[in-house]
Amino acid sequence: MGASLYEDMTDRSTGNIIEGHQLCFRYPHYNENGEVDSTQTALEDIDLEVQEGQFIAILGHNGSGKSTLARQLNALLLPTGGTLYVNGYDTRDESRLWDIRQSTGMVFQNPDNQIIASVVEEDVGFGPENMGVPTEDIWKRVKKALGAVGMWEMRESSPDRLSGGQKQRVAIAGVLAMKPRCIVLDEPTAMLDPGGRAEVISTVRELNRTEGVTVILITHYMEEVVDADRVIVMDKGRVVLTGTPREIFSQVDQLTNLRLSVPQVTLLAHALKEGGADLEDGILTREELIGSLEALRAENSAAGTGTAVSGAAAPAVSESGDAVPGEEVSAASMPGAADDSAHAKGSDTSDRAAGHDPEKAIEKEEPFIRAEHLGYIYEPGTSYEREALKDINLSIGKHEFTGIIGHTGSGKSTLIQHLNGLTRPTSGTIYVDGEDISAEGYPMRDLRFRVGLVFQYPEYQLFEENVLSDVSFGPKNQGLPEEEVLSRARTAMRAVGLDESFEKVSPFELSGGQKRRAAIAGILAMEPEVLVLDEPTAGLDPMGRDEILELLKKLYEEKDMTILLVSHSMEDVANYVNRIVVMDNGQILYDAVPEEVFSHVEELERIGLAAPQVTYVAHELRDRGWDVDDSVTTIRQAADEILRALGDK
Amino acid sequence: MLKDITIGQYYPGHSVIHKLDPRVKLIGTLVFIVTLFAFGSVSSYIAATAALAIVIGLSHVPVSFLLRGLKAIFILMVITALFNLFLTPGKVIFRIGFLTITAEGVRITVHMAFRLTYLIIGSSILTLTTTPNQLTDGMETGLGPLNRIHVPVHEVAMMMSIALRFIPILMDETDKIMRAQEARGADFTSGGVIRRAKAMIPLLVPLFVAAFRRANDLALAMEARGYHGGSGRTKMKPLVYQRRDYVAYVCILAYLILMILLWKFV
Repeated sequence: MGASLYEDMTDRSTGNIIEGHQLCFRYPHYNENGEVDSTQTALEDIDLEVQEGQFIAILGHNGSGKSTLARQLNALLLPTGGTLYVNGYDTRDESRLWDIRQSTGMVFQNPDNQIIASVVEEDVGFGPENMGVPTEDIWKRVKKALGAVGMWEMRESSPDRLSGGQKQRVAIAGVLAMKPRCIVLDEPTAMLDPGGRAEVISTVRELNRTEGVTVILITHYMEEVVDADRVIVMDKGRVVLTGTPREIFSQVDQLTNLRLSVPQVTLLAHALKEGGADLEDGILTREELIGSLEALRAENSAAGTGTAVSGAAAPAVSESGDAVPGEEVSAASMPGAADDSAHAKGSDTSDRAAGHDPEKAIEKEEPFIRAEHLGYIYEPGTSYEREALKDINLSIGKHEFTGIIGHTGSGKSTLIQHLNGLTRPTSGTIYVDGEDISAEGYPMRDLRFRVGLVFQYPEYQLFEENVLSDVSFGPKNQGLPEEEVLSRARTAMRAVGLDESFEKVSPFELSGGQKRRAAIAGILAMEPEVLVLDEPTAGLDPMGRDEILELLKKLYEEKDMTILLVSHSMEDVANYVNRIVVMDNGQILYDAVPEEVFSHVEELERIGLAAPQVTYVAHELRDRGWDVDDSVTTIRQAADEILRALGDK
Repeated sequence: MLKDITIGQYYPGHSVIHKLDPRVKLIGTLVFIVTLFAFGSVSSYIAATAALAIVIGLSHVPVSFLLRGLKAIFILMVITALFNLFLTPGKVIFRIGFLTITAEGVRITVHMAFRLTYLIIGSSILTLTTTPNQLTDGMETGLGPLNRIHVPVHEVAMMMSIALRFIPILMDETDKIMRAQEARGADFTSGGVIRRAKAMIPLLVPLFVAAFRRANDLALAMEARGYHGGSGRTKMKPLVYQRRDYVAYVCILAYLILMILLWKFV
């Protein structure tokens, strides 16, 4: 694709595809008579210039105005002050509305809500149809667009049968078929798992690089923006920072103040710097960090031994030479050796738990929840039949904080719905507190109150007129007396950080993070013995995510609850849980302490998961002959290990 | 149970039936249904059965898949059958207490069972082999002349196709919300009518909220992709009759003639 495709369009301004001057936008608030009684500022004094072919990232926490800005670029919203030119057209010029919509395509967050047709190819053709493109050309465009996102083979599928990542690629193709000069993606990966996220981001990068399409990516995942040309950070409707990713990410403290998180690698570099290591600012990728660390080590050893060593490889030889003679041997045996040691450690831990401590041993004999040879088949006897769970054996003891990880479709959500009897197993048995829950006459409803299950996007189940009554729904169903119901509901609301002022507020007026917490309170109010949460942080911004995870930690530590956390975010899980169950293809692949699970980096990657970034760093350093423990899973641990290794020199 | 409803679902395939012009299929289905209800002799049922069997065979849709659609309306059929069986006046052939079964009742019951079953299967084949978009395209083109008397044909067709696209999504959503409320101790299955109706509130409110949220998102997505009603729109898959469509029309005509002949002479 070159400029030739767009001969018919002429840039009448400066060559910038997007140009905004002192752009303002206020959302009107209407009173009962339908008159505007007040306005709320969403965008203020935004100056924006985007050149053709650039890759721009816009960061900001939820409510910072970034989605409002995105909608301006497609003239879905019009400025209330200042000017915005898109492809040379003033967005307030109504006669140019369709030209503007055609020149900047939009991809939205929810993959289900933006696919209009019931067949992939027809959906991609929707845009060109609206533009009045002749039939033959529509097909050419559809073919090209689906090819560009790698979905041509799936052109006849129903969108319902696609994964989240695939749906988003179809949505991107739908925009591409309109031959836009610029694509605006509004948090396209917020609802996807790591595999889907990588899929979408690499598609977008590829389009930018090979087709020269201008990309404006709105996100709160920092890892996605490291190779953007420019990053714009928004807060309270204003642009607060702008620069290259390196410039932006070197301001770790300021980003944290803006409720944003920084890539884990950058945080690690920051922690190392604070620990005294002399690293440069704004390290973004693993390669950069490792390169800098190697250089640093070379410097250190040169200073330490007084001998000038050329290159970073030389000290690696001498160091690994201490342990195993010969560099080649040590490098080759390293991954295996690491695995063995981790295995040893893992079995050691379980020995400790099972054998040595007599009290613990009794607990192990009868765990609170025990699943034996659990199997579940979806839609048996149809063409969609699928074995969702295969021979699952799992024990959950009291006062455990367990993480269940696996990619979408690995069976983790199905598994947890068995634990409170919502789904009945096709085969196998589940014991709760020693009793078989599929037995005749088992009090299933009581089980629901003992094993509290928080569904994915639990805010979608809020229904009452105010938060207090909604939170009371569970305890009311338990048949408790009125005062008890209210006192439990209030306690639960306090536990999630919603004070009295929220009691009479409609749950639909809360912010995203507050809704989520109110929904969790609805389960907590039943005072369950076990709390099971299905991806409780999905779709939240970094701040909202941390709030939820800290809440769980508090419940575990202070209230001594048993918690089961289902997630696909390794970083989330690694920092909080003390046991990880990895699911793949309906089976349990690993069940061990985080350090051991994350030592299987290659295996985790094969099944579409990833270890935390810091684990990769430690792994790679060890491969290069550093004396670091590669089973680290948190930034703190990794920083300590690396600083120690550097200090040893 | 929700998963059993096959009406409105599309079964992807490349059969002759799949490839037929939706207008042909619409007219074919219409003829089939009209003849089904207009003629009620044994011979006409045999002809209808044969026609249905041939079409199912050509469509490559598994029979089990079709029959699953019947499961969803089974209750409705049983109720209809009971009403017909007991409430049709005529020659009494059986009596238990105040309930009487008449010969006419039995006849009508059998007729209705056949007709309903065939009606469902017939229309299922239409929707299973035609994408909702083709279906609405077919209606839009077929009903095009109504545009002249200011019937918003395109808009209605678009609404229908969107409704069909979102049926499976909203069903999934219903299932999810039900489970989520059950996890909070909600009970949808016991108690009297009023209690059950009340128990639906925690399901219906979130469902409506979700539906509106989706509608809002979708409207935005459609606008962003330049949708502005039917004027000036082109078609990715315009409806053009092929040879097989004319052949199909001939078959439909032949079937209609056969049915009339059977009714007149057998």
